[in-house]
Amino acid sequence: MRTPHLWLFTAVALLVAFSAYGKPFTFTAIPDQNESRLRERFDKVANYLAERLEVEVRYIPVKSYAASVTAFKNNEVQLAWFGGLSGVQARAAVPGARAIAQGDEDQLFITYFLAHDSTGLSESGQFPQGISGRSFIFGSKGSTSGRLMPEFFIRQHLGGAPETVFSRVGYSGSHSRTIALVQAGAYEVGAVNYKVWETELAEGKIDAQHVRMIWRTPPYPDYNWTLQGDLDETWGAGFEARVTAALLEMDDPDLLAAFPRAKFVPAKNEDYASIKEIAQIIGLMD
Amino acid sequence: MALLSLKGASAAYNGVRVVRDITLEVAAGEKVSLIGASGAGKSTLLGMLYNQQPERIALVPQDPALVRSLSVFHNAYIGGLERHPAWYNLLNLAWPLPREVRDVRTVLESLGLEDKLWAPAGELSGGQQQRTAVARALFRRVDTLLADEPVSAVDPAQADTVLRLLVESHETVVLAMHDVSLALRHTHRLIGLRDGRIAMDRPSAGLDPADLVAFYEG
Amino acid sequence: MSSRRAPATRTTLAFVLVAGLCLLAADLQIITLSPWDELGRMLWGVVSPNFREPLRLADALLQTLTFAFAGISLAVMMGFPLALCFRWAPVRIYCAFVRAIHELFWGLLFLQAVGLNPWCGVLAIAIPFSGVLAKVYAEILEEADLRPLQSLPHGAGHVEAFFFVRLPDVWHHLKHYSGYRLECALRSSTILGFIGFPTLGFHLHTAFLEGHYADVSALLILFYLLIASLRFWVRPRLVPIYALAAWVMLPAGTAFSLHNVTRFLTRDIIPAPVRGSLHDGPEALAEHLPQLAEWGQRMVMDQALPGAITTLLLSQITLITTGALALVLFPWISRIFVRGYLLELGRLAVIVMRSTPEYVLAFTFLLLWGPSWLPAIAALTIHNGAIIAHLIARHADTMALRPDAPRGLNRYAFEVVPRLYGQFLAFLFYRWEMILRETAILGILGIHTLGFHIDSALAGDRQDRVMLLILLTALLNIAVDAFSRRLRARLRLRTTAKAV
Repeated sequence: MRTPHLWLFTAVALLVAFSAYGKPFTFTAIPDQNESRLRERFDKVANYLAERLEVEVRYIPVKSYAASVTAFKNNEVQLAWFGGLSGVQARAAVPGARAIAQGDEDQLFITYFLAHDSTGLSESGQFPQGISGRSFIFGSKGSTSGRLMPEFFIRQHLGGAPETVFSRVGYSGSHSRTIALVQAGAYEVGAVNYKVWETELAEGKIDAQHVRMIWRTPPYPDYNWTLQGDLDETWGAGFEARVTAALLEMDDPDLLAAFPRAKFVPAKNEDYASIKEIAQIIGLMD
Repeated sequence: MALLSLKGASAAYNGVRVVRDITLEVAAGEKVSLIGASGAGKSTLLGMLYNQQPERIALVPQDPALVRSLSVFHNAYIGGLERHPAWYNLLNLAWPLPREVRDVRTVLESLGLEDKLWAPAGELSGGQQQRTAVARALFRRVDTLLADEPVSAVDPAQADTVLRLLVESHETVVLAMHDVSLALRHTHRLIGLRDGRIAMDRPSAGLDPADLVAFYEG
Repeated sequence: MSSRRAPATRTTLAFVLVAGLCLLAADLQIITLSPWDELGRMLWGVVSPNFREPLRLADALLQTLTFAFAGISLAVMMGFPLALCFRWAPVRIYCAFVRAIHELFWGLLFLQAVGLNPWCGVLAIAIPFSGVLAKVYAEILEEADLRPLQSLPHGAGHVEAFFFVRLPDVWHHLKHYSGYRLECALRSSTILGFIGFPTLGFHLHTAFLEGHYADVSALLILFYLLIASLRFWVRPRLVPIYALAAWVMLPAGTAFSLHNVTRFLTRDIIPAPVRGSLHDGPEALAEHLPQLAEWGQRMVMDQALPGAITTLLLSQITLITTGALALVLFPWISRIFVRGYLLELGRLAVIVMRSTPEYVLAFTFLLLWGPSWLPAIAALTIHNGAIIAHLIARHADTMALRPDAPRGLNRYAFEVVPRLYGQFLAFLFYRWEMILRETAILGILGIHTLGFHIDSALAGDRQDRVMLLILLTALLNIAVDAFSRRLRARLRLRTTAKAV
C-alpha cells in the first residue's frame, strides 16, 4: 500500500512546485449562483482572457462575498467580478481600484420579493404593505440583490429596520436557499436575485403552488468588473485598457453564460455612488 | 448431592495455567476455607466456583469495586437489585424508600457502619469499603457465599465479628483466606492450594496454625 | 434529604433549573407549512449519492486529510511543551485565549491578514488545538500515579522521573486523547472548507447552498466513512508517516505579503473613528476619542451585550439537552451494554450524528419547524450530544465490572452512570465552550448570537468590529471555562480520591 502512495505524493508535490512557478494574472468572482459550476465556467473565461492578454490567467475560487473582497484587498486577485455592494467595499479599501465593466442587465438590476401561498399575498405593482409583521428571509448578508436593496426598499416603505417591522429576520446565505425556505414556508416572505429566480423557474425547480413572486423592486445598478489601480506599472503600459477591451468584447454565449449576462458594457465608479450611499444609510458601511 | 463441584478443571491466563486439574465438591451446609500462598490460585478457583451458579451466590470479590460516587446505602442496595423491577430500583436510586433504608440500615448496624449510611463510598477508608462490600453480599440474601479475603483490610478486632456474621448468615460458605487462625476458627474444612493444585483437603478440627506454616513457605 | 444527594447531583439539578429559566426567554414556536417538497428532495439526495466525479471527491478527501494531519501534528508539537510549563500562569492564559477562538474565526483572521495560503488553514487548526492539547495533556500528566516516584532511586533527576514514571503511566491516555483530537481536526479541516480552503467542506457548502443534495450526500458519506475507518488505519506507528506526508502534500499558496499583514494590523482592525488619525500623533487621536467612546459603547450595547446574553441563554438550554441526549445514547455504543452488529449499527448512527455539520442539521430542522430557537437547539444537541456519548462510551468500555454486576437498566443506573458521571460532567463542561462558539452558525435562523454579529461585521468588511467581537467572545469563553473549571474542581474534591 505504501509504495503507490509515495508515488502519488511525489507526483503531486512536483505538480505543485511547477504550478507555483511564475506569477499569473488572477481574478475571482463572487459565488452568488450555480457556485458548483463556477469553477468550470470561469476556467473557460480564464482561457479566453489568457488568449486576449497573452499572459497566464488563473481563476481563484472563493466561498463568500467577503472573501472576494479580501482577496482583492490582499492583491491576491487583480480583477474581480463583484456584486454592487462588494464592489463598493473593495474599491473603498483599495485606493485606485476602479469599476471597468458591468453586464448589460446590471445597469437596471432588480430584486423579486417572494411570498409563501399561506400569506395570501399576490403580485402587485405597489410595495406589498401586507408583508409587515411576517417572517422575512434575506439572502447572503453581503448581497446587493438579496440584502442591501431589499432592505433599503423595506425601510423606505415600512419606515423601520427589518428587525423592527418583521416578526423574524433570517439570512439564508444564498439565493437558492431563500427560494427553498420560502417555498417550504419556513419563512413567509423573502427577497431574491431575479436572475436566480428566473433560472430556477426555467429549470422547473419552483413549485408555483407554494411560492410566488409578489413584487419587483425598482431598478438599481449591480454586478461589475473591478480592476486593481496600478496594473500598467506591473503588467506593462496599456494592460488595463486591454483587460477592459477583452471584457467588453466578450461575445461567446458560452462564456457569457458563466455570469450569466447578454454582454458587458463600460462602467465607472460613479455608477455605483447610489449603492454606496444606501450602504451607508443602512449602516453596512462607515 | 454437591452444591458446587469441579472435576479435573483447569484455568489459564494468557496461556499460563494458574489452576490445574482440580476436582472438588462442596456440599450444601459446608463452611470451607481456601488457603495457600499468594499466586496459588485461590481467587481463580473461587471464580470458577462462582461461575457454576452465579444467580444463587453472594460474592465478596477481593477488590470491593464499589461505585465510589454512590452512597454506602446504594452500594449495599445493589445487592438486592434482582429482587425488584427496574422502575422500583430507579426510584430508590433517586429517592431511597424508608423500607429499603431501614433494611439496609439493619445490615450496616451489624457491621458498625450505620453512621456512614449516606457517605459516598469513595470517601471511606479501606476497611469501611470492605465492610460495605460485605453489606452488599449480606443484602443479597441468598444461601451461598463466596468471599475472597473479605476482611483483609478490616482491623483484627472487627474481623472476627464480620466473619462470624458472614458465616452465620449463609448456609454454605467458601472463603479464600490468608489468615489461617481466622480460617480455622470460622470454617470446618480447609483446602490448601499450592501451584494451582489441591495439596491438602481436611477438616479444620484438631489443626493448629503452626501445622500450616509449612504450607505458606511452599 | 439534601445530605443524601451527591454534589454532582446538586450541580446537575442547578443547571437543569437554570436551563428551565432560560426556556422562559426562548422562542420555541413551531411553524410548519409545506416543508415536504424540499425534504423529499433531500431524502432523494440521501438515497442517490452522486459519486460520478470521483477525482474531485478524492482530491477534496486528500486535502481534508492533509490539512488535518498537518494541523494536528503542529498542534501536538506546540501543545506538549506548553503542557510541561502549564503551571506557569502566562502559559495558561495564552492557552485559554487561543482555544477560546473558534478554528473558523482563526481561519478568517488569517485569511484577512495573509490571504488564501494553505498555512492559514494549518495554523487555524494548530493554534486553537495546541491550546486544548496543552490543557488536557497537563491535566492527564497531573493525574499520573506518582507513587512509583517514591521508589525511584535516590539521585534520579527530574528528566528520568518524567520519562520513567510520569510519562509511561499516562502514555496511553495521551495517545487516546490525541487520537480523538485527530478526529476533531478532520472535522475542523472539513469546516474550514466553508471559508475557502479546498477540503470536503468547500464542496459541501457549495452543494448545500445550491440544493444539490445528491452531491451533499456523497460528500457526507465520504466523510462518515473517513471517521468510521479511523480506528483501522490510524496506528500510532503510522501517524508520523501520515503527518510527514501531509506536510509534503500541502498545496503551495500565494506568496506571503508583509504589506497585507501590516495593513491588517495597523489599519483594518483599528476602530473606524480613529483609523484616519492614528498615525497623526496623539493630539489628532485625542480629538477623536469621544467618537471612539461612542463607537465602543454602540458596539457593546447594540451587539456584544445582547449577543452575549442570547448566546448564553441558548447555550444553557442546549447544555442540558446535550447532556440528556448523551446519557441516552452512550449505552448503545458501549461494549458493556451491547455487542455485535447492534454495537456497530449504534456506532455508525453516532458517527452520522456527530459528523454532520450543524449547519446542515439546522437547515433541515428549519424546514421542519420554521425559524425559532428549536432548530438551533436540536442541531447543537445532536452534534454535541453524540460527541459526548462517543467519549463516555469509550470511557465505559474500559470499566472493570464485578462478575456479579447487575445487568441492563440496573447496570446502567447503579454501576455505570454513577461511575462516569464526574467524567460526563467534565466532558459536558468542555462542550459548554464549544456550544458557545458554535452558535455562530445560526444566522440562517435569525438568532442574534455573538457569532451572528461577527458574521455581519465580516460581510460588511469591518475588521475592527470583527476583531472587537472576537475578543469579547474569547473573553466570554474564558469566563465560562474558568467557571466550569472551578465547578469541576469542587466536584472532584468531594467525590473522588482517585476515581474511575
